Amino acid sequence: MPVTSNYTANASPLFSVLTSTQCDDILLAAQEVLERTGVTVMDEEARDIMAKAGCWVDGIRVRIPSAVVRRALQSVPNRVTLCNSRTGSRDVLLEGHNAYFGTGSDTPFTIDPYTGQRKRSTTESVGNACKVIDALPNLDFVMSLGIVQDVPALVSDRHQFEAQILNTSKPIVTTAHDIYGFADIIKMCEIVAGGVEELRRHPFMTLYAEPISPLQHAWEAASKLVLAAKKGLPVVYTPCIMSGGTGPATPAGILTQALAESLSGLVINQTTREGSPFIMGGVLTIMDMSSTVFSYGSPELDLQMSAYADVAHYLKLPMFGTAGCSDSCLADEQAGIEAALSIAMTCLSGPNLNHDVGYIEYGSTSSLEYLTINNDVIGMGRRLVRGIAVNDETLALDVIDAVGPGKDFLSEPSTLKYFKTETYSSDLLDRQRYEAWQAAGSKTLFERANAKVKDILENYEVDPLSSDVRSAVRAVVESADEAVR
Amino acid sequence: MSYNFDELAESVIAGDSELSAALTQQALDAGANPVAAITDGLSKGMGVVGARFKSGEMFVPEVLMSARAMTAGMDLAKPLILAADMPSSGKVILGTVKGDLHDIGKNLVSMMLESAGFTVINLGIDIEPETFVKAVSESDADVVGLSAMLTTTMLAMKATIDSLAAAGLRNKIKVIVGGAPVSQDFADEIGADGFAPDAGGAIDLCKALVA
Repeated sequence: MPVTSNYTANASPLFSVLTSTQCDDILLAAQEVLERTGVTVMDEEARDIMAKAGCWVDGIRVRIPSAVVRRALQSVPNRVTLCNSRTGSRDVLLEGHNAYFGTGSDTPFTIDPYTGQRKRSTTESVGNACKVIDALPNLDFVMSLGIVQDVPALVSDRHQFEAQILNTSKPIVTTAHDIYGFADIIKMCEIVAGGVEELRRHPFMTLYAEPISPLQHAWEAASKLVLAAKKGLPVVYTPCIMSGGTGPATPAGILTQALAESLSGLVINQTTREGSPFIMGGVLTIMDMSSTVFSYGSPELDLQMSAYADVAHYLKLPMFGTAGCSDSCLADEQAGIEAALSIAMTCLSGPNLNHDVGYIEYGSTSSLEYLTINNDVIGMGRRLVRGIAVNDETLALDVIDAVGPGKDFLSEPSTLKYFKTETYSSDLLDRQRYEAWQAAGSKTLFERANAKVKDILENYEVDPLSSDVRSAVRAVVESADEAVR
Repeated sequence: MSYNFDELAESVIAGDSELSAALTQQALDAGANPVAAITDGLSKGMGVVGARFKSGEMFVPEVLMSARAMTAGMDLAKPLILAADMPSSGKVILGTVKGDLHDIGKNLVSMMLESAGFTVINLGIDIEPETFVKAVSESDADVVGLSAMLTTTMLAMKATIDSLAAAGLRNKIKVIVGGAPVSQDFADEIGADGFAPDAGGAIDLCKALVA
């Protein structure tokens, strides 16, 4: 083959919503919001830290000069690694356009796979969800997929974390009620990791916190950003904005406001301790102006999240995305359509840590069947992003010539070599001929997913924690229980 | 004398505040009955808006524009009406409970209730049980609505109901609850009088409770 100059190739499909000039416009606009309008910060310590760093503090209102934002953007790491909690293996590299997928945490309800009934989520339902996530190969991290509600509410976050760490070895994105809950969760993680330094070097947990839009950092959120920085542990900070409700009705306005919220959170975090790992996030969607729900299935969610990923890449910040979720009250055709679009867009855009897979009912309920179906949608999305390699071997001129007109490729060595690696296959999606499908019970996708969920719950075994670690973790939960008794 | 308020009702449906104020003023100048201007014009238009919202023909921002148009007319008619003759669907106190800063859902309920003719006292966010107790004891409200967005702050709903009971006010007022994690079961469990999943439902609920 001759040497060729000026050769370009796409190793993967190219996809973006915004150009770098447009991303810069969004950044400049967000910086202007922070200087002109500012944000409210309800935590005194955070305000003091920000004031020392050069922010303008008037009561609880804090305005942030652009230079302070710039400094925070320079000190924040451009990549965060999350590990397997059992082996310390560095599995999730939040950098560049890597897209990883996981569930969400805050559904009050879940669908029981055995009864089909919608019920409040419990310690058991969260444990079961984590087991299923652990078993599904295309899910890379865990969020609880339910709020534990069968224990005292004030300390339910400790129970929720215990249910997760017992039932998965994948990295955990955890919520906590406040810094006291977060401190207990850190304690549990240090026990599992085998020490403070071990956890910092091989973090398998990142905290999830969120501002209240528009432009407010509540005490719980701001103090968590401070504590995460002091501990040197990663924190995900996620504006959840609905256009027309808690943000402007225009996508560019939503992006600007979201970035102002993300960057002010980043400033709180980085002015506490420069170099702390920080993951900017978002659920940027619409308020449905008929039902008033915060939509988890709108095309605007997909579009705005892809655009926000472009902004995150422009800033070289790890990004927390949203996909595989639905407004539909059950895992039905609508849910499938919404997940397929959001997962495909996410795979193409490459935000790094993508949550809420398995949410139905506009984020109020979780479905393990839906999660299991989406495991395959993610697999298909990843196949799309692997793109097409064009080289001498894959152009297959010799193979085409050897077979010639009118024959078949089935027994070609090249077919044997490539048919598995170039083709996505699934044990859940159906491509059987009609008679075989009928003989297998004429099952719908949902029914097959339900069977797979039950099979995992009944037969899959999670890599266990040692009994010493388990009881030390239990002791942390029990001491929290004791404190509220 | 009878006066035709159709155009006034239409201005409310169109959400045109300037027009509804001008038409109200015109009617009052012509000697029309101010109570009739409200019931046959402004409120009648808003009734159409409510029905269209329910059937999905109109959307929240349009409803709020119509409510604003209704209020623009009401403000002109009100001073001419004795308080006792003032048409009102009822009085509702609203607030987001202690520890919770989420505002928009409650404000939406507030605006929708006002559009349905209720008088609303909106206490704001992060409201202590004692503040609810004080508001209930100091007003002649029919309903108090508690909002919470988090499973942790849902607990403050029960604390608020308990405080109302301790102050001897529980039988004086109906308590309704709402917010993302709240359900009918939870409302029953904490002894609330009602639950609605959204702002439209809250209107129906309040109407049923004050009837």
